[in-house]
Amino acid sequence: MTLFSQWTGKISLFIVLLIANPLLLFAEEDHSEIHDLMAHLLDPAAEAIWDSAGFVITEEGEFSLEPKNQEEWDRVLYGAKVISESAFLLSRPQISKNREDWIAVSNLLKGVGDKAFMAAEQQDVEELFKVGAELYQVCVACHLTYLTD
Amino acid sequence: MKKILKIIAISLTLLFGASTYLSSHHAFTAEFDPNAPINITGKVVKVEWINPHAWVHVEVVDAGKTTVWMIEGGTPNTLIRNGITKTTITPGTVVVVRGYQSKGKLCLPRCIANGRDVTFPDGRKVFMGSSGTGAPRDGSDPRERR
Repeated sequence: MTLFSQWTGKISLFIVLLIANPLLLFAEEDHSEIHDLMAHLLDPAAEAIWDSAGFVITEEGEFSLEPKNQEEWDRVLYGAKVISESAFLLSRPQISKNREDWIAVSNLLKGVGDKAFMAAEQQDVEELFKVGAELYQVCVACHLTYLTD
Repeated sequence: MKKILKIIAISLTLLFGASTYLSSHHAFTAEFDPNAPINITGKVVKVEWINPHAWVHVEVVDAGKTTVWMIEGGTPNTLIRNGITKTTITPGTVVVVRGYQSKGKLCLPRCIANGRDVTFPDGRKVFMGSSGTGAPRDGSDPRERR
């Protein structure tokens, strides 16, 4: 069983737990649950995308950050899937309160997650780098609108 | 059964476990001190073209002591749009960066700053940050409304 399929199972169960047991997700203030989702799901997933594409230039030369083996690509696939599924959670009525703008941003995030997944499946580093920039734009757009101290 | 319990434990840990985490995406005020402006002059030794922030490492020699500052910039795309490319900011280029120090000003474990603008040897000054991150409105970002 690959790392990706192992994690897919864990993510699925985690999502089922969240949906099936509202106490896990909705027992506290809305902002707290959203923070938890950002901190423990979205942030690490976004890092997986961002860390997988780009390059470093030193006096010794240029080095690519692209994944070097299937295990590293699986980590990117996992991150992309987490982004898509987290966006789905964010768009659910319990969190979105049916706010159209919130749902629109959630859908944008889902689209970026799907694109990242496709780029990772095709092991397309250039596309992954572009998607990484799009992901940041969506994050900033949302935070500028909704993030408060 | 044991496997399911393990997965549940992992799920709960994911939700409630870590109280602190590191993120490369953050608001300006989470990492940097708007009251600690700094000018960094030195030679570029490393450039990281990564999302969500590019990093420029600048070696500063002061009174015989060498310090390398890690300077956070905007996204690679933002830098490229502003005319900062991998051919214009290369190792060996001497630059002057205006920015703000990280909240931990003791350079432990590393000297870190947020870059606002960079001046190249030919005198060209370019905005190197990101808009809308909460950085002070100091005139360096051409998009900010003053």
